[in-house]
Amino acid sequence: MNVIETKNLDLAYEDHQVVVNLNLTIPAGKITSLIGPNGCGKSTILKALGRILKPRGGFVYLNSRDIQQLPTKTVAKALSILPQAPVAPSGLTVWELVSYGRFPRRKTIGKLTAEDREIIDWTLEETNLADLGTAVVDNLSGGQRQRVWIAMAIAQQTELILLDEPTTYLDLAYQLEVLEMLEKLNRERNCTIAMVLHDLNLASRFSDYLIAVLDGRIIAEGSAEAVMVPAVLHDTFGIDGEITQDPRTGKPACISYHLTTSRK
Amino acid sequence: MDLEVYQRKQKRRNTAIIIAFFMMLLLSVLISMRSGYSSLSVTDILRVILGGGSENEELVLFSFRLPRIVLSIMVGMGLATAGCLLQAVTGNALADTGILGINAGAGLMVVLYVIAFGTQSASAIFTLPFAALLGASGAFLLIYLLIKKRDLGISPFSMVMTGIAVQAGLSALTTLMVIKLDDTQYAFVSSWQSGSIWGANWTFVLAVLPWLCILLIAAMCKARVLDILGLREETAAGLGLRIKKEQQGILLIAVGLAGACVSVSGSISFVGLMAPHIARRLVGPRHNTLMPVCALVGSVLVSVADTIARVIIQPSSLPT
Repeated sequence: MNVIETKNLDLAYEDHQVVVNLNLTIPAGKITSLIGPNGCGKSTILKALGRILKPRGGFVYLNSRDIQQLPTKTVAKALSILPQAPVAPSGLTVWELVSYGRFPRRKTIGKLTAEDREIIDWTLEETNLADLGTAVVDNLSGGQRQRVWIAMAIAQQTELILLDEPTTYLDLAYQLEVLEMLEKLNRERNCTIAMVLHDLNLASRFSDYLIAVLDGRIIAEGSAEAVMVPAVLHDTFGIDGEITQDPRTGKPACISYHLTTSRK
Repeated sequence: MDLEVYQRKQKRRNTAIIIAFFMMLLLSVLISMRSGYSSLSVTDILRVILGGGSENEELVLFSFRLPRIVLSIMVGMGLATAGCLLQAVTGNALADTGILGINAGAGLMVVLYVIAFGTQSASAIFTLPFAALLGASGAFLLIYLLIKKRDLGISPFSMVMTGIAVQAGLSALTTLMVIKLDDTQYAFVSSWQSGSIWGANWTFVLAVLPWLCILLIAAMCKARVLDILGLREETAAGLGLRIKKEQQGILLIAVGLAGACVSVSGSISFVGLMAPHIARRLVGPRHNTLMPVCALVGSVLVSVADTIARVIIQPSSLPT
């Protein structure tokens, strides 16, 4: 079981301190969403969890081991990360891009093994991309492309998947498709999922655990019912929101909100 | 389209492209063997190769033309591969050892070396690639330090701009040094500088061949790493690539290739820039296929250019 957590974490870019003394735990086997306003540090935190950003101070522990001490390949076998706006070289087919997900598990020399190929094919099936295997990634729509990137992360076969704004720029239908795919992964393969989401209501609907972040600090964390309350939304986003219950899913939703007069 | 059908189609297409370029290379080699101050017909060439040529003909073919032809193929392969590696590592489609001043660095060292040791002794020639390598690495280090110092960040733009400046500076220095050369040294250096493969002989070929073989094989081994590097840093790191370490290794190979080639043929720009782009257009971005095709395209480019240079204003020749 993978647990990832931080202890006294300090994160900074150059001189700009983003996160100070953060203690955060991503619960294993659940879907967790990091929510918060622009610039609050949620992407920065995710990058630190994914070992892309080196902490200024403090630690990130993956399965109780300091992630900075672990070899990069070991980390890549335990967690996969999908950054914002990923880029692929032009001319690559879907199958080829997904096959890159096998990189951490392949030996230094040699072709893809039969097992690798099976996993890639299975992944394409699971993500509804089986028909698009030979399509060139550049020619796909935004939603299809995002599914390909997630497929690459899935092909890595890790127990923990980190995603930075996987649904931004996607239309309503694609957003649901992507999130439902993640839900399926969590349900069927017990993948721990941690993602940064802008859309509060999607976060509420699809997450088991929410962490609200502001200025690099945790304002509130817990189930959707615990976090999606007017007080938390006010403190985190500076909005005065009305919480209702989604008639179909029963999850808390915030549809009606206004700016508070005291927003910075 | 079915995956297997697609992959078979790709294989067939790539094979056709490779054969086409091989044909071009062969043609260029044949024309090159034919032409020059004394022209040899195809039957003449066949006769000489099979051992039935006169001493004079053998001299022309084996001592003058063949080494130059072989050298142009080797240099084409080396520079094209170096360009391919550079472009992958820097994420910069405009990267090329000429533009970035790496060739100029190698050039400066070669000139200094020639001033110190001359070009007559064989041992001097065998150690020439080392000097060139030193110069090539020095130039690259200079660019890197300049970028870091001015806090520009390693973006394609900053690399190319700094590289152009470094190239200009080093070339100027080289010109200054050239003034101090005596006649024979000057003859060697000036034609060498313009990238002519004049004065090529088998010593040069043997000096460079082992380096080229080792470095080209090393480059091919990195094919998968290069693919992953193409996904940019964050994704590549997420896939478990030790980015800094791999970048350093690959840069070393690129600089080594550039140094080795420049040491015997002078600075030939744009092969490293064009060959990867042409190859990528033809066979796609996966380095398993891209690199060998890139090397092939490079060898065709230099070989053809060299042939044209020799033929076009016979009996004298243009610098390549």
